[in-house]
Amino acid sequence: MKHLPKHLRPKWRYVAVALETDPEVSLSRGAFQRELWYAAQNLLGDAVSADADGTVVRFQFGNGDGSAVVRARRGHVEDLRAALACIETVDDATVAVTVRGVSGTIRACEEKFIPAGTERPDRREVAFANGRRRAIVRGDRVAVDVDGERAYATSEDVE
Amino acid sequence: MTGFYEAVHARPDGESTVRRCVEHAASLGYEGVVVRNHGDARADVDVDAVADAVGIDVVDGLEVRANSPEQASGYVGNYRPKYTVLLVHGGTNEMNRFAVEQDRVDVLAHPMRGDGDFNHVLAKAAAEHGVRVEFDLSGVLRATGGRRVQALGDLRKLRELVEYYDVPYVVSVDGTSHRHLRGPRALAAVGERIGFSREQVEDGLREWGHLVARNREVTSPDYVEPGVRRGRYRDRPDTDGNRSVTDGDDSGA
Repeated sequence: MKHLPKHLRPKWRYVAVALETDPEVSLSRGAFQRELWYAAQNLLGDAVSADADGTVVRFQFGNGDGSAVVRARRGHVEDLRAALACIETVDDATVAVTVRGVSGTIRACEEKFIPAGTERPDRREVAFANGRRRAIVRGDRVAVDVDGERAYATSEDVE
Repeated sequence: MTGFYEAVHARPDGESTVRRCVEHAASLGYEGVVVRNHGDARADVDVDAVADAVGIDVVDGLEVRANSPEQASGYVGNYRPKYTVLLVHGGTNEMNRFAVEQDRVDVLAHPMRGDGDFNHVLAKAAAEHGVRVEFDLSGVLRATGGRRVQALGDLRKLRELVEYYDVPYVVSVDGTSHRHLRGPRALAAVGERIGFSREQVEDGLREWGHLVARNREVTSPDYVEPGVRRGRYRDRPDTDGNRSVTDGDDSGA
């Protein structure tokens, strides 16, 4: 269909979102989109969800770290912020969802708030909780296997 | 003005270490973290060392979990002198009742959880004894379906009582992982959708900081009573209305 004249097009805001989960988890755009729409629908209802939009327009993910750009209708950024806060898991992995910032264009949003590249994970043994344990290290962050359970620590905790 | 604080269960009560939680909280914009491990899963971590390393305030707190008020009373007596912030694990009517009637208790945690309930009697008692009631947002952020609807209803009931009787309160997500933490703005946005005002959520997050500041002042060696401290008035860096007590030690008596 012929696209709308400029003054009739919706005004968008683009929300930069950072995601963090276990290093071996890989998430797809589709999974994150589904969880976001679920969260929005459950918290805000169909009517407000439709107003807020919430389309994931950019998504990158690797080694348990990712970022996304989510579209919100102008004036509904706070609705979307609330919905994003209510995402606990994506594909059964607990994720930390953090809003980094809001911009008026996708490009500005990516340039200002989306970091380039992710920290490469490194598997090694560390001293933690009275023993040598297998761990995956990403920069300062350490995920340790403690007797079948995961513990999350920092490099300072495992010296 | 005090910044925002959040309270978390760290290892072994939760899955992340104190340091990991604190670093994540700092990246979210918090100015402090209260460690609120249960009494049977205490984190033996030097909170001051973590605070120095990360650059935000870290507070040693403890959440007393007991089966009966008698047992809890013993724990409260034990732990009160050792911890800066003392919470009581609410969620049953007896424990809620116990907590709000204790001057020694700082926070009644999640009073509406499980079979717990709150009413005007408890609200008045909490206001009288200065016990902060916690608005636990975990049910909004991490529950689904009927349980979430119930949690929202409970929050509403608690909020109405807190507003009417002017009960002091704190807000927390009661996280057991660093990934459960959400930034102050995100919590304010969620709060607004479920009937809180922005200011209420922000005040609730700041209240942890006020509580910590008050408790630290009260336990400092110079403290005598509210408004009265030892030492010479002119030597104090913060001379905001504190009279000095010129007795004893320096006159050599």
